[in-house]
Amino acid sequence: MNRLTIPAVILLVVAVGGLFMMSVRTTQKVQADFLGIIAPFLKTGSRMEARFVAYREGLKSLDQLEVENKQFRVEISELKATNQTLRDLEVENARLRHALEYRERSPFKLVPARIIARDASTWWNTVKIDKGSDDGLDSDMSVITEDGLVGKTTTIAKNAATVLLISDENCKVAAMIEGAREQGIVRGERTSTNAEPEISLNFLPKSTRLQRGQKVLSSGVGGVFPAGMALGVVNQFEVRPLDCRATLTPTVPLTTIQDVFVVVGKK
Amino acid sequence: MSFFITLIAALFFSVVAQEFIPALPWLYGARIYLLPIVFFYSALAMPPAAMFVLAFISGFMWDAMTVQWVDGTVEVSLGWSIILYAILGAIMSGFRPLFQRGRWEIHCLASGFFTAVILLSEFLMITFRRGDFIVSKMIGWRIGGAGLAAALLAPVIYFILSGIGSLLGYPVRFSQEDEKRP
Repeated sequence: MNRLTIPAVILLVVAVGGLFMMSVRTTQKVQADFLGIIAPFLKTGSRMEARFVAYREGLKSLDQLEVENKQFRVEISELKATNQTLRDLEVENARLRHALEYRERSPFKLVPARIIARDASTWWNTVKIDKGSDDGLDSDMSVITEDGLVGKTTTIAKNAATVLLISDENCKVAAMIEGAREQGIVRGERTSTNAEPEISLNFLPKSTRLQRGQKVLSSGVGGVFPAGMALGVVNQFEVRPLDCRATLTPTVPLTTIQDVFVVVGKK
Repeated sequence: MSFFITLIAALFFSVVAQEFIPALPWLYGARIYLLPIVFFYSALAMPPAAMFVLAFISGFMWDAMTVQWVDGTVEVSLGWSIILYAILGAIMSGFRPLFQRGRWEIHCLASGFFTAVILLSEFLMITFRRGDFIVSKMIGWRIGGAGLAAALLAPVIYFILSGIGSLLGYPVRFSQEDEKRP
């Protein structure tokens, strides 16, 4: 055995022991500091990804143009690529304009943020956004879009933050059914993926009867999430021995959203 | 030393890169993880002491990116993955002599198997915390599919990192002359 191995193992054990003994606050701070370090790379990666998508769209057009006219293939593909970029900008412009209108209409003070990375973990559903404590964000703030509730902030770095999505099993939201008195708890499913997010409405009274398509809103109980935010629509409903449960389809397209708002207060 | 630093940089950039790799919907949402593949290469290429340092860095970054802080508690403590990476890295180190003789398939198979072991351990830990032991085809594929993806991607990472190692004067393979030496 190498003479350095034993000191390395001892150092490792001491370091891990130190990490285990850290308080929750310190753990969160360490995590936030690491997020702060990695955030510029995630932002750069996010920009590169957007450019790559635009470029790839341009190449798709190239294939079509080759069939039509081989002579002008290169020239046309360049024009197509430029057009695609402009179209992307147009779509982005429309999306941001729509978001701005919502921000003005909303009764909350909202901080607009962009998703820079979708969590790569298997068992947790989170996203990273490009705003942090420098923009007034704190942990346990609601994150919304004009379509409904997205989740809440957890780890806050200076220039980035982690958002726990409503499709995560750990994100529990007090909920009510639109036009009814019944209340329950909405939470994500452990087997829910980023590809197919699923949420469920649990602990409904035994007398509840729900129909497919009924809307479920946040009730505001608990204080973290504002009341009246859309969570999902009923997809399936089942009566269990002690309570009732409904499977919901989230109203916010959690896999494709790009822009969100963080609720930092009321107007 | 320069290859060791290169491996640290490779671990960091693999964490960044894997954030942009989407889940595979046709494989029940299984994910492609680069960090374990790079780490397991390091475990085979580096001596044990350096491997433990890299296990600390890998486990720390993995936990820092995934550990959840919910309602004032941390679900899985920061540091568990370091232990896991160190144990699996130590097992990998046992295959180092074979690896140095050019048996690249060791890295490929072990990366796949150990990536699945990491995900299975995570699943067991969150099951222990949350309750409700769920066994389903989807969970099986999420664990096994990620392992399969890692095994398929491992040769690419192996050849890239081996190439860099050679350029930096750190060939991971022993030459025939080296093997003949007492």
